Amino acid sequence: MPINISNPKNRDAVVAAEALNPKRQIRYTDPKGRPVTTRKLLKTDVTHDLPELIKKTKKLEAVADALVKGDPEIDIEQFGMFLADMSRVYVTKKGIIHLVEEIEVIYNPDGTVRERRPRKKEPQNMNAEFPMRWTGKFIKKEEAAHRFVFTNKKQLVHVNGLTFDFLYDMAKELDEKDSLLLVRGGEKGNEPLVMNRGGKPYNAFLEGRVKDDAYCLILHLSNMELKKPKGLSAEEE
Amino acid sequence: MARPLILSLDGVEYPITLIKIDRDKLYGRVEIEAFDEKGRPAELRVLAADGKTLIDKGGTALATVNDKGDSVERSVLVPVDADGEKIEQVPSSFGRANELTSATVEDYFRQIVKSVYLVQPFENSDIGPLYDQLSADQMFTFPFSWRGGVEYDNAFLIGAGKDAFMVVGKQTEFQFIKLNQATVLDATEEEEISADDLDFDLL
Repeated sequence: MPINISNPKNRDAVVAAEALNPKRQIRYTDPKGRPVTTRKLLKTDVTHDLPELIKKTKKLEAVADALVKGDPEIDIEQFGMFLADMSRVYVTKKGIIHLVEEIEVIYNPDGTVRERRPRKKEPQNMNAEFPMRWTGKFIKKEEAAHRFVFTNKKQLVHVNGLTFDFLYDMAKELDEKDSLLLVRGGEKGNEPLVMNRGGKPYNAFLEGRVKDDAYCLILHLSNMELKKPKGLSAEEE
Repeated sequence: MARPLILSLDGVEYPITLIKIDRDKLYGRVEIEAFDEKGRPAELRVLAADGKTLIDKGGTALATVNDKGDSVERSVLVPVDADGEKIEQVPSSFGRANELTSATVEDYFRQIVKSVYLVQPFENSDIGPLYDQLSADQMFTFPFSWRGGVEYDNAFLIGAGKDAFMVVGKQTEFQFIKLNQATVLDATEEEEISADDLDFDLL
């Protein structure tokens, strides 16, 4: 994905942020060594769910009788078909609706409601009019490791010769400081980063390393601190 | 009864128990309620590509199929690596000692995190010496699998304040990039101050 980022001199450039995957790639084969894939298929639809069957037969007991006598819950023609290109829609009793008001209900960790508010879908701010800002706020790697959980990572890659120098210089400065840089987004450069519209906001930290004439710039994304929740019960997984 | 996870450091065994930590437990959670223009509650459904089949939760399943589209039982699947070599199953990390090795911050930063656990002593066991080492900013790692399976995850033991955590995930490889390794911009959007002032309660 393209991102727009500024350097310590407040010059900005669009570069690429690439996903990082685990080192070992596992795939599955059938017993004869032929590759297999995973496909999504239709198990049942709403017209064959219990509420619809009750609507047709009026009584739950009658549904049981119908299940014994036949297969009213199965559509032989449709069920088992592979699914692709699905969409998510809102429905009421009247069917699919297009005008929807969404309300966010925010719960405290103890389950009590903290707030209800209209849902706001913030736009992404990693490749926007205002570049991601080099805040100049550094945090030592050791400290960051013991404070934050980095749940997502992106590797920054140049797209031409000019952006190679741009990113290399950033990586060199971070390598020398042995620190992570706090990166922010938005018009004022004080917002957490959002990768897609309505997506999760992340606090972002840039790590840089250089080796000879090569660089490595990693954007570490965190939406969680490494700390014990308040009032934690003795529950276990 | 829950089994302990036994960690071994310098020949001493520490039985611990794990409590899963996530955002919901730290900051709470958000749920979305939807209504139509007349204030009637609306529910989310999946619409199939035919434009008419509506699917509720639990209405889909995943099937493993071969190149002819025939279903293949999961129990007969063979896990292989990138070279096509069969991967041997690994046992669960519970019920045996897991040797800890020292790790660096650079190792930890290569972790793609899947889950985080709070480390607690199992029953009345004494894990004080382990806490002491972690609070002295030491970090340890070991291969971990909850139930056994195709491969181990990587677990890091790390201290934060008076507490100790186990951060489980997979390791990735960072690439050092040279001038001739430029990439091409892909226009598709991604799916899905002071450090002391950072707000993690981003609900």
